[in-house]
Amino acid sequence: MNKILLIIQREYLTRVRKKTFIISTILFPLLYLGLIFGSTYIASSTSSVLRVAVIDSSGYFDKGKIERENLKDSSNILSLVNYSADSVKANYKALGYDGFIVVSPESNWEAGLKLSLQTGRTLGIESSSGVQRKLNNIWDGIKNEKLGITDSIKTKLEESTVTLRQQNFNDTTANSGVATGIGYAAGFLIYIILLLYGSQVMMGVMEEKTNRIAEVIVSSVKPFQLMLGKIIGIGLVALTQFFIWVLCMFLIYNFTSSLGNGVTANNVIGGVQAIFTSIDVPLILGCFAFYLLGGFFFYSSLYAAIGSAVNEDMREAQSLSFPITMIVILSIVLLPGVIKDPSSPLAVWGSIIPFSSPIFMMARIPFGVPGTVPWWQLGLSMVSLIIGFIFTTWFAGKIYRTGILMYGKKPTWKEMIKWAIKR
Amino acid sequence: MPILELQNLRKYFATQKAVDDISLTIEKGQIFGLLGPNGAGKTTLIRMITGIFYPDQGEIIFDGKKFDPLNDIVHIGYMPEERGLYKKMKIGEQALYLAQLKGLSKHDATTKIKEWFTRLDMDSWWNKKVEDLSKGMSQKLQFVTTVLHNPKLIILDEPFSGLDPVNANLIKDEIYNLAKGGATIIFSTHRMEQVEEICDHIALVNKGQKMLDGTVKDIKHNYKENLFRVSFSNKLMAEHLAIHLFQVKEKNEHEVVIKLDPGYTNNDVLEYFIHKGLHIESFNEILPSLNDIFIRLVEDTPAARQFQQVTA
Repeated sequence: MNKILLIIQREYLTRVRKKTFIISTILFPLLYLGLIFGSTYIASSTSSVLRVAVIDSSGYFDKGKIERENLKDSSNILSLVNYSADSVKANYKALGYDGFIVVSPESNWEAGLKLSLQTGRTLGIESSSGVQRKLNNIWDGIKNEKLGITDSIKTKLEESTVTLRQQNFNDTTANSGVATGIGYAAGFLIYIILLLYGSQVMMGVMEEKTNRIAEVIVSSVKPFQLMLGKIIGIGLVALTQFFIWVLCMFLIYNFTSSLGNGVTANNVIGGVQAIFTSIDVPLILGCFAFYLLGGFFFYSSLYAAIGSAVNEDMREAQSLSFPITMIVILSIVLLPGVIKDPSSPLAVWGSIIPFSSPIFMMARIPFGVPGTVPWWQLGLSMVSLIIGFIFTTWFAGKIYRTGILMYGKKPTWKEMIKWAIKR
Repeated sequence: MPILELQNLRKYFATQKAVDDISLTIEKGQIFGLLGPNGAGKTTLIRMITGIFYPDQGEIIFDGKKFDPLNDIVHIGYMPEERGLYKKMKIGEQALYLAQLKGLSKHDATTKIKEWFTRLDMDSWWNKKVEDLSKGMSQKLQFVTTVLHNPKLIILDEPFSGLDPVNANLIKDEIYNLAKGGATIIFSTHRMEQVEEICDHIALVNKGQKMLDGTVKDIKHNYKENLFRVSFSNKLMAEHLAIHLFQVKEKNEHEVVIKLDPGYTNNDVLEYFIHKGLHIESFNEILPSLNDIFIRLVEDTPAARQFQQVTA
């Protein structure tokens, strides 16, 4: 036991002391936020303004209505022109348009309009639906005029609507918007940590094997102790990183709440506080730590087995670890479906089976325990994850014992399973 | 009392019989040479003695008791043929880590490491990394980490490969010192000349089996071919060389190598030459080198043993 502690200590300290650890701990949250905000920013700032010529022979459209709508939404500009369709088609570039719309003289306001946006290139769906939205707004104005609906009636029509807010009577604090956000964040974080630290375990084992230190160590400790020590050591590194992030989060929270008393008008601060009060923070953090470690042990022991089986060639390791990485990726691909309907059979069973439970369960828990996730499901999921990682660790230990001293040809999964079954 | 007794050890792998019924006894304080060509089964045998592999069959008796890897492993120091150290780790920390894995306390380990580092001129190395060392230097470090915990049994697989003559001698002296201090040393190699020099006792393995076993002197004696080199001060004539006592293997003007025919003794030959009026300058028996014996024993066996099917 004492020896495992020594191994854990070495694995932990050599990693935590590295500059890359410190840098990645600080950079990762920044990068993560940057990625989310940056991608939305880039998406909104790089789209160009679409210019569309409207050739109206029906007489419904007039310049004033179009200009008013152009002011409201500048992502596309409509302009009424008097040219014929053919001359616009021939010269649309020279005239400065991306496309044109022809409204035929037979158009009838009661029947609605079926128009086509003629363009020289294929547009994204976002651009053409923007044009459609704008045309509909203009069309609404035209219809209102025909029906004799004044602006004051229109305001009344628009203001009196039905709003529906979903409320879970088992869990009155549940907020599905916040839950969705946290579900995604937690699921992705576990996904990234599983792959990142799983491959660290694999590389660590490969390093020991190719350095030939493995034979020296296993003449002092059992191979299983060496493997377990490495996995636990690296798992603690992941947990340390996670705790640093949680600590940062609490600092931000305390900082914002101390500001919040004076400047309650600030939307961001209010938002952050709303998030913290609408969820069960200790439960989510506790479960996150559990599923992080559970999922890590489950997968990293398999990665350790692969690391022990291959030689220094990274490609060998990649081809062997492909099926395992695939399972992790599949969970993340199915994640949006789980978050959309956290009580669907896929979500329930996926969060109980240990292959996907770390990611699925963490996506469901923010929706409320025991409201969305009954206690029995959480319990069953945790127990099956524990059984799961005990099994994979045992299985991997068998492969590791043989693989770590085996040099030469890369084994197949079939051969590795044979090593595991052999006594 | 022997430190190590192997009784009918067997270890079969899917494609070969790596160790096939080997029995050996190694006495305390011996420097024991384990010889054999590549792939003879030396490494597998050693891995069983170090508790890395379990034998399929047979018993290992360590220091009078049945070998219990979990507890006995701290009394064994093993330096594998393929050396291994953590490249990025500082040398002092690395030695400390390996010593603690062998059960030494941090304090004891530190003292011991400093002692050894001073003795082998490695004082300034503590904060260097292994990747900064030359191959010979890391070899020295590996040796120190192997013997640091005062093991009763030290197993060295090709300890001199990659060492320059100065450092090889340094290590050789340390091996003698350790043996004098009561440690038993198993020295695995295929370099025969080193064995003749260092080992008192050897075993030769090939194809997973023990071919012979004994003291170097006895083995040489058993495999001698009754060859003698005789040199004379006067010129040798054809009529000086009779046919019934010996056969002539080599000959030049003043020297001859003869093989004695069975039934005759050294004295018969000397008497004969004196009788012929020759002045003998020297008379030496030519003993076979271990290398010769080794080649003679091994040469008939197919080298590509690993491709043979196991029929067990």
